[in-house]
Amino acid sequence: MDPIQDHIQQTRRHFLTSASSGVGLLALASMLRDDGLLAAEAGPSGLPGLPHFAPKAKSCICIYLEGAPSQVDLFDEKPRLRELHGQPLPESFTKNVRFAFLQKETARLLGSPRKFTPRGACGMELSDYLPHLGECADDIALIRSMHTEAFNHHPGQLMMNTGVPNFGRPSVGSWLNYGLGSASENLPGYVVLTAGRGTSGGASNWSSGFLPSNYQGVLFRNQGEPVLNLNNPDGLTGAMQEETIEALRDLNRVRRRTIGDPEINSRIAAYELAFRMQSAAPELIDLKGENRRTLDAYGVDRVDPSKGGRGGVGAGGGTGVFRQFAVNCLLARRMVERGVRFVNLFHASWDHHSDLDLELGFNCQMADQPVAALLRDLKQRGLLDTTLVIWASEFGRTPLGENRPGFKNVTGRDHHPFAFTLWMAGGGVKGGQVIGKTDELGWNVVEEPVHVNDFHATLLQLFGIDHKRLTYRFQGRDFRLTDVAGKVVDKLLA
Amino acid sequence: MSSVVPRFRSVARAIVSIAAAIGAATCAAGELPPASTRTVDYRRDVQPVLARNCYGCHGPQKQKGGLRLDRKAEALAGGGSGRAFEPGKSADSLLVQYVAGLDPDTVMPPKGDRLTPEQISLIRAWIDQGAAWPEESEAVATGPARAGSDHWAFQPVRRPGLPRLKDASRVRNPIDAFILANLDARGVEPSPEADRPTLIRRLALDLLGLPPTPAEVDAFVNDAEPGAYERLVERILGSPHYGERWGRHWLDLARYADSDGYEKDSPRPNAWRYRDWVIDALNRDLPFDEFTLQQLAGDLVPGADLGSRTGTGFHRNTLTNREGGVDQEEYRIRAVVDRVNTTGTVWLGLTVGCAQCHSHKYDPLSHKEYYGLFAFFNSEKEEDIPAPPLPFEIDAYRKAKETHDAEHARLVKAVEDHDKSVAGDKPDKDPVRVKLQKAVADHLKKAPAGPASKIPALAENAKPPKTHILIRGDFLRKGDEVEPATPAVLPLCSPEGKLTSRLDLARWLVDRGNPLTPRVTVNRVWHYLFGRGLVPTLDDFGTRGERPSHPELLDWLADEFIRLEWSQKALIRTIVTSSTYRQSSRARPDLADRDPTNIWLARQHRLRLEAEVLRDVNLAAGGLLSPVVGGPSVHPPQPSGISDLTYAGSARWVESTGADRHRRGLYTWFQRTSPYPMLMTFDAPDSNVCTVRRERSNTPIQALTLLNDSTFLECARGLGARVIAEAKGGTEDRVRRIVKLCLCREPSSEEAALLTRLHDKFAAQCRERPADAAKLLAGRKLAGTDDAEAAAWVAVARTVLNLDEFVTRE
Repeated sequence: MDPIQDHIQQTRRHFLTSASSGVGLLALASMLRDDGLLAAEAGPSGLPGLPHFAPKAKSCICIYLEGAPSQVDLFDEKPRLRELHGQPLPESFTKNVRFAFLQKETARLLGSPRKFTPRGACGMELSDYLPHLGECADDIALIRSMHTEAFNHHPGQLMMNTGVPNFGRPSVGSWLNYGLGSASENLPGYVVLTAGRGTSGGASNWSSGFLPSNYQGVLFRNQGEPVLNLNNPDGLTGAMQEETIEALRDLNRVRRRTIGDPEINSRIAAYELAFRMQSAAPELIDLKGENRRTLDAYGVDRVDPSKGGRGGVGAGGGTGVFRQFAVNCLLARRMVERGVRFVNLFHASWDHHSDLDLELGFNCQMADQPVAALLRDLKQRGLLDTTLVIWASEFGRTPLGENRPGFKNVTGRDHHPFAFTLWMAGGGVKGGQVIGKTDELGWNVVEEPVHVNDFHATLLQLFGIDHKRLTYRFQGRDFRLTDVAGKVVDKLLA
Repeated sequence: MSSVVPRFRSVARAIVSIAAAIGAATCAAGELPPASTRTVDYRRDVQPVLARNCYGCHGPQKQKGGLRLDRKAEALAGGGSGRAFEPGKSADSLLVQYVAGLDPDTVMPPKGDRLTPEQISLIRAWIDQGAAWPEESEAVATGPARAGSDHWAFQPVRRPGLPRLKDASRVRNPIDAFILANLDARGVEPSPEADRPTLIRRLALDLLGLPPTPAEVDAFVNDAEPGAYERLVERILGSPHYGERWGRHWLDLARYADSDGYEKDSPRPNAWRYRDWVIDALNRDLPFDEFTLQQLAGDLVPGADLGSRTGTGFHRNTLTNREGGVDQEEYRIRAVVDRVNTTGTVWLGLTVGCAQCHSHKYDPLSHKEYYGLFAFFNSEKEEDIPAPPLPFEIDAYRKAKETHDAEHARLVKAVEDHDKSVAGDKPDKDPVRVKLQKAVADHLKKAPAGPASKIPALAENAKPPKTHILIRGDFLRKGDEVEPATPAVLPLCSPEGKLTSRLDLARWLVDRGNPLTPRVTVNRVWHYLFGRGLVPTLDDFGTRGERPSHPELLDWLADEFIRLEWSQKALIRTIVTSSTYRQSSRARPDLADRDPTNIWLARQHRLRLEAEVLRDVNLAAGGLLSPVVGGPSVHPPQPSGISDLTYAGSARWVESTGADRHRRGLYTWFQRTSPYPMLMTFDAPDSNVCTVRRERSNTPIQALTLLNDSTFLECARGLGARVIAEAKGGTEDRVRRIVKLCLCREPSSEEAALLTRLHDKFAAQCRERPADAAKLLAGRKLAGTDDAEAAAWVAVARTVLNLDEFVTRE
C-alpha cells in the first residue's frame, strides 16, 4: 500500500477510534469499504448478473416439519377415503410400489376422522387441526400435488432441502446466499433454528455442500448463547475484546504491507463482522422489545399441554416445544427484519406411524397458532410481500393405515412420496388458491403435478433467479439446485 | 439437416466468406477433398470429429432436423432430409457435402470452425470403406489398439526434453526449467527465495502439518553448511507425523468417517484401522502402485494378508443406511456407484459418475462403459475380518478381566461366608443364599469378552450378482447385462485382452500405459504443495476440465514419478527442493493484472491452514499437543448440544480425558450427521463423498471460533503461561518470544510496539478487575508472576493466535 495513503488511513482511524471507541470501529469498516480497501463486504456478496430479473421475494422463512405430516388429515380432504375405510386398496394402486414398513397385501384404507371446512374468501378446505392457519387461507397457495422420489426420511429431507436425495449438495439457503449475497451487515445470511429433538438429516439439511462454508446455515440457539462461540471467554471484558479486534487489525495491516496480499483485508473484515455480530445476535434473540400482544399472538408463553400425544413426555419431540416453536417463529420475523436472507425452522417428530390422531393433534396445536401469527405479523408490518413463507416436509403419508408386523392396532400411516401437500405464502406467491389435485383416495396426483425440483425452480423464480442459470462447477459438472429438472409453476406467481 | 439450414444460412455464409478471406484450411466451394487412402477406424478417426462438431445439434440433447449422429441406428437412418450418408458412396452423402460446404448456403456446422480437408477425407474414407460402426461391446473388447481421442489427457505420457534458458542459475531441478522457461517467455522474473524462518515453517506445515519448534528454527537459520535445506527436508520426511499430514489428504479422497451416515448414523468403532493403515503406508512410503493395488484389491493381491486386506477399507467408507424400512439393495447399489465414482475421480481424474444415468455428455464414456466399471465392484461384499488385538486392546481387556475376576472372587466368598455362618440344612432353599448365588451367576454373564478386534474390509462375494446397465441410473430398471470392462478410450494394457477382477482393474490403473493415473496423482501432490494444481480441476481431466498450465512439466512429473518407482516421498522431495517451491509468497504488484491468480508461479501461494492443521498449530503453540500417532478416534471437547441435533440424539459425545483431549485434528471422531463444528467451520469435507479439493473460506464464524472456542482458549492460556515461563526479561523479551513461538521469526519494531502497547493495556485492565483476570486464567496461578500479568499474556496470546500470518502458510 502507498505509504501516504496508509498514513491518511492511520490518521483517520486514530481520529475515529479516539473520538468514540465503539463507533470508531464500525465507522472504520464502512470507510475502508468506501475507499475500496475492504475486499470483502460484511457478508458474502452475490454473483454478478444476479438476480436475473426483478425479484418479488427478498427473504424466505422455511418451516420444516420433519417426519412428514399427514396431508389427508390436514390439507387434502378425501370423503371417498372415509367411505372406503377398512377396505383394501385396489391392486392397480399398489402394484410396483415399495413401502417402508407397510404390508401391502393386508393393508386397509384409513379414513381421516378430521373435519374439513372451507376457509377464507377463497374457500380452501382445511382440517380442524389448523384453526388459526385457516384464518390466513387467502394468503396461502396450497399445493396438493407435490410428489418426490425418496420414501425414507433422510434421503427425502436431502431431496427437499438440497434438490437431490444424496449427500453433498448445497441446501436452498446456501444457493440463495451464494447467488444473491447477504443483505445483513451484522448477521449471517442463512440462519437455522430448531425446536425439540434433532432431525434425521442433522446438519446435512443446512449444509453448503460443495459451496464454501460461508454459505452454510448458521445454527442459532433460541436461548443462551445464540451462536456458537459468540460470547467472549469468561473474564475477557468487552473493552478487552475491542482492544483485541483493533490490535488484530493493526497487526494484520502491518502484515499486509509486508506481504502485499489484499486477501488480508478480508480477514480484517471477517473479524469486524464477528465483532458486530457479538452485539447484533444477542439483540436479535432478546424479546424484551416485543409487546405483550405480539408475544401472546405467537403464544411464546404457552406450556406444553400435559395430556398431549402419549401423555406429554416424548410428544412433539421434547419438553418445552410449544414455547420453543413459538419463539422460533417470532425470531424468524426479527431476522427477516434485520436482513437475513433465509431462515430455516426445523421441528422433528411428525413421523406418525402410530397414534396419529393424538400426536398430530399435539403437533398442530403447537405449530398452528405461531405459524398463523407469523403470517399475520409479517403482513401487518408490510413484510409479507417480500418474505416467502413455506410449510414443507420430505413427503406425505399413505391413505392406507400402517399395519407393520408388531403393531397391534392400525393407528398411523406409512411414508407416501407420490402425493403430498405443501404451502407457500407471501414473497410474490398468489395466495388463496389450491394447486393440483389428487385422486379420490389421495394416492396419486391427477392434476398439475409439482415435483420437488419444480417447487425449487419456482422458489428461485420468486427471488428473481432462473434456476437453470444459477450453477456451480464441481467435479467437472455444473450443478444446480434443480439438478437436471425443474419447471416453474407459473400459477403460483402473483 | 436441411431443415435447420435456413435459420443459419446468413451465419453460414458469413463464416464461409470469412474463412475464404483468411485463407483458412477449409475446402474451396464446389469440390470435395479426396477420400483418405488409409484404413479408417470409426472411434479413433471419425467419432471425435463428429462429437466435437456435430453432436451439439445432432446428439443426445438436440436432434435438429431429426438427425442424431451419436448413435448407430439413428445415424444410419438419417433425418428429415433423408439418409445422412450411404455406405460406400461418400461423394453422394449429404453429410460429406454439407461439411465440405459444396453449396455455400448449406454448410455444416453452421457456427464455429469448419472441418479441415483432412477430417473430411477421413470421413469420406470411412464411408467408402463401408461406414463400419462398432457396437459399444465390440469396441470394449477389441484389445490394446482401442479407440482413441485427441484430448490431451488421454495421450500417452511422454518425458519432454528440458527447455533451454537464457539464465539457468536459478534452476535447481527440471521443475524450475519448465517454470522459468514460461516466465522467460513472458518477460517475468521469478521471486527471490523466501527467508529461512518462512521456509522451515512452510516445509513443516506442508509436510507434517505442524509448526517447527523455536530450537528447530534456530538450528536451521544458523546452519551455514551447504545442503542445510536438503538436510531439513530429509529430517522432516522421516518424521512419523508425515504420514498423519499426507494421510489426511488421502482420507479426504477416501471419504473417511467414524459413522455410517444417514438417519441412524451408527458408529463405526473400527474405522480407524483403515486410517492407521494409511498413515503407516505413507510413513513407510509404500509405492503408489502397490498402495493402489491394496486400496482396491488388497484381498486379491498375491500373498494377501491382514495388512493388504486392511487397505480395502478404502471402499468401506461408503455410507450405510440403516434407517427403518429402507430397501437394502437400493443402498448397496448406491455404495457400488460411489465406489465407481470415487475410483474414477481419484485415479482417472474423470467425472465417470456423469455416465451413471446416460452416456457422458462431454467425455468419451458411454452409459454401458460405466456399468463395465461398475461390474468390477459389483462382486464385492462387506466383511469385518477378525484381527489380532492390539496391545492397548489387550491391556483394556486385562484390566476389565482383573476387575471382573476380583468382583467374582468377592461374590463367591460371600456365598462361602454365608455357608459358614449358617450351619443349617437345605442351603438351596435359603433365600439369602439363593440371592447371593444369583449375584454370582449374574456377574459371570457380564464377563468381559476377549480382546477381539475387527477390521472393516471388502472381499469377493461367492455368488456375485450379475451386472446390468441401470436405465437412467435407476436400480429397479435393469437393461442389458454387462461384463467388467475398462473405458475404450484408454489403452487396455493387458496381454490377455480381458480384465475381469478388481485386481485386474487396479493393475490397469497403475499400468505404465495408463496416462491418467500418474498425471492425476502428481497433479494432486502439486496442488497440496502450491495450493493450485497444474490442472486446477483436480477431479476433471476430461474435456470439460481446464487444460494444464504447464503441460510439459505435468508430463515430466508424471514420468519422473514412475521413474522414482511411484515413491511419493521422492516426488515430494523433488518438488520441495525446487527453486520454484522455495520462492517468497510476497504479492507481485507487477503481475496483479497479468497473472492475478498466480498461475505462472512467479511466487509461492499464501494458503489459509486447513481445519485440522489449525487445531494442531494452536495446540502446539499452547504446548498442549499430544504427539501420539494412531489409535481409535477421540472425542475432544465440543460445545454442548451438537450431538442433540442428530436423530434421537443417537451420536452421544462422551468427552475424552487426559492427553486424548489434545490429539491432532485428524483423530477427532467424525460423526457424519453431527460433525465436529470446528472442523466444519474451517471447510473440512463432510466425508460423504470423495473430496479432492477443500475450500478455503474466510468467515466471521471462523473468527468467533478462533477467538472463543474453549479449545483455542486453552491454547491461549497455555501459550501465555509458556511465554511467561520461557522469557524472563520483561515485556520486550516476552513479545519477542511469543512472536518466535507462533511465527518462527523476530517481530519488527512496529509489531513489537503494537504488541507491547496491547500487553500494557490488558495488564492495566486486568489489574483493575482482578476477578476477571482470575476467570481468564480459569483459576490457575502461575509461579513468579501475578494474576494480572498472567491474564494479560493470555489475552495477548489469544490475539497472536488469531493473526492472519499465524493461520496462514506463507
